[in-house]
Amino acid sequence: MTDLLTTDSRFLAIVLRTLVVSGTATAMAVLVGFPLGYGIARRSFHGRTLLLGFINTGMGMPPVVVGLVVWLMLVRSGPFGGLDLIYTRTAMVLAQFLIATPIVVGFTTASLQALPPRLADLLFVLGAGRVRTMLILAREAKLGLAATVMAAFGAIVSEVGASMVVGGNLERSTRVLTTAIVTETSRGEMDYALVLGLILLGLTFIVSLALTIIQQRR
Amino acid sequence: MDVSLEGVRVERDGRVLLDVPSLLLRGGRTIAVLGPNGSGKTTLLRVIAGLDRPSAGRARIGGLPVDALRVAYVFQEQIFLRRSVRDNLELGLRLRGIDPAERGSRMEEAARVLGITHLMERRADRLSGGEGRRVSLARALCLRAPLVLLDEPLEGLDRPTYSHLLHELPQLLAAFDATRILVTHSPGEALRFAQDLVVLVDGKVHASGEKREVATNPRVREVAEALGYFVVIHDGRRIAIPPDALKPGPGDLEFVMEVDEVIDLVASTEVAGRIGEVRVKVELPPTSETPARGGRISLHADRFFELR
Repeated sequence: MTDLLTTDSRFLAIVLRTLVVSGTATAMAVLVGFPLGYGIARRSFHGRTLLLGFINTGMGMPPVVVGLVVWLMLVRSGPFGGLDLIYTRTAMVLAQFLIATPIVVGFTTASLQALPPRLADLLFVLGAGRVRTMLILAREAKLGLAATVMAAFGAIVSEVGASMVVGGNLERSTRVLTTAIVTETSRGEMDYALVLGLILLGLTFIVSLALTIIQQRR
Repeated sequence: MDVSLEGVRVERDGRVLLDVPSLLLRGGRTIAVLGPNGSGKTTLLRVIAGLDRPSAGRARIGGLPVDALRVAYVFQEQIFLRRSVRDNLELGLRLRGIDPAERGSRMEEAARVLGITHLMERRADRLSGGEGRRVSLARALCLRAPLVLLDEPLEGLDRPTYSHLLHELPQLLAAFDATRILVTHSPGEALRFAQDLVVLVDGKVHASGEKREVATNPRVREVAEALGYFVVIHDGRRIAIPPDALKPGPGDLEFVMEVDEVIDLVASTEVAGRIGEVRVKVELPPTSETPARGGRISLHADRFFELR
């Protein structure tokens, strides 16, 4: 098994690619999802509950369905076919971003709603501006927000359907750990598939541990 | 520092929460805003703090537009960051740009006045009701704002803590070198703490002024009821009677009370019942004959106010 890991240079590329694709998608989902979740948690408006209902449904959306929709958009005959993004890492990032965003928005909203309802009012009367208020609230909700990032990263790093559909599982450009596991399993290379599976678990553990340390820091 | 409201109107979902054409709260005094639940008291406080923007009109503090930085607000709920008492006290000072040395001395002084020095390193969100209330007051005190707003400062406390703070609060309020506006639904608290009263019912100011003047000249039913007076009709006149002025036996202004409930308090007997449709309570000395439930007793008022 050690031999397998050290001799196969493709392996490192797959691990790095997995990290880059899922890491980028998670970062994008956080950039979009945190402010959206903050806005939904802090403001009351008509249709808020319905919107949250849609977001919560999105949290359980099958990745392969998201992949199919993105494929239909990006395929050459689709509305964005001209961008020539199908079967690229960008397409995979886009699909994973769409999977992760409802998770980030939903969990962020819930984390911020769990704070004392008048906390933002307190910060206002103490003299905090909008940005300071947002930062202090985020810090107060850091347990929930760190769990949000972990859940989002965990969901997309482990998904296979969307990556397979929009990335095409091309060996040198779009193969990631999950699609590689499927490929090796179908080839009967069970040892290699198992190693990849363990690496995927290890990768998820390392990222989650880092976030847990941030989360639990006083 | 005077606080004034001109043409202030707050509406939510088509409902008028506050409608104050004109109100002046005199600076340097303790003013109690008294009214039943849902009368707009907290909304009034939030408008003055700048937390709620009125749909019309404006509030001014010392002649200037409202500014949270000139206000210290004590919320009805205990709201703290999940950090130490010290961190919670320091937050407002940091946000207002007070330098570290000054922050330290202000916090120490506020902690000493409020008797919370021993709590400084404890998690603020895990304090008991009474401790939390003291920390909230200390947080407001160390801001040294010219205007202090207190929303039901004794609400939700257990009985011993309530009794303790009830007696201590006037002294604590005196520590604030500021105009103090407190909101309460309790006439007892309002009369105990305040120099001036504002009576707010259904979002409208029905009386405002020096407390003795308001309490001894309620004029209208809303004010009398907010003050806890019994409002009864007698010979076609509407009369307000302070609870302690209703006594058993005959007198100049007599009533007949139908007895609904008799409670033996050992040292006295509490009788609850009705004068006409108005529910009243009276305490009988132990020497009196205990009335029967469903019976009638004669009462008189040794003090009363005629209403419009």
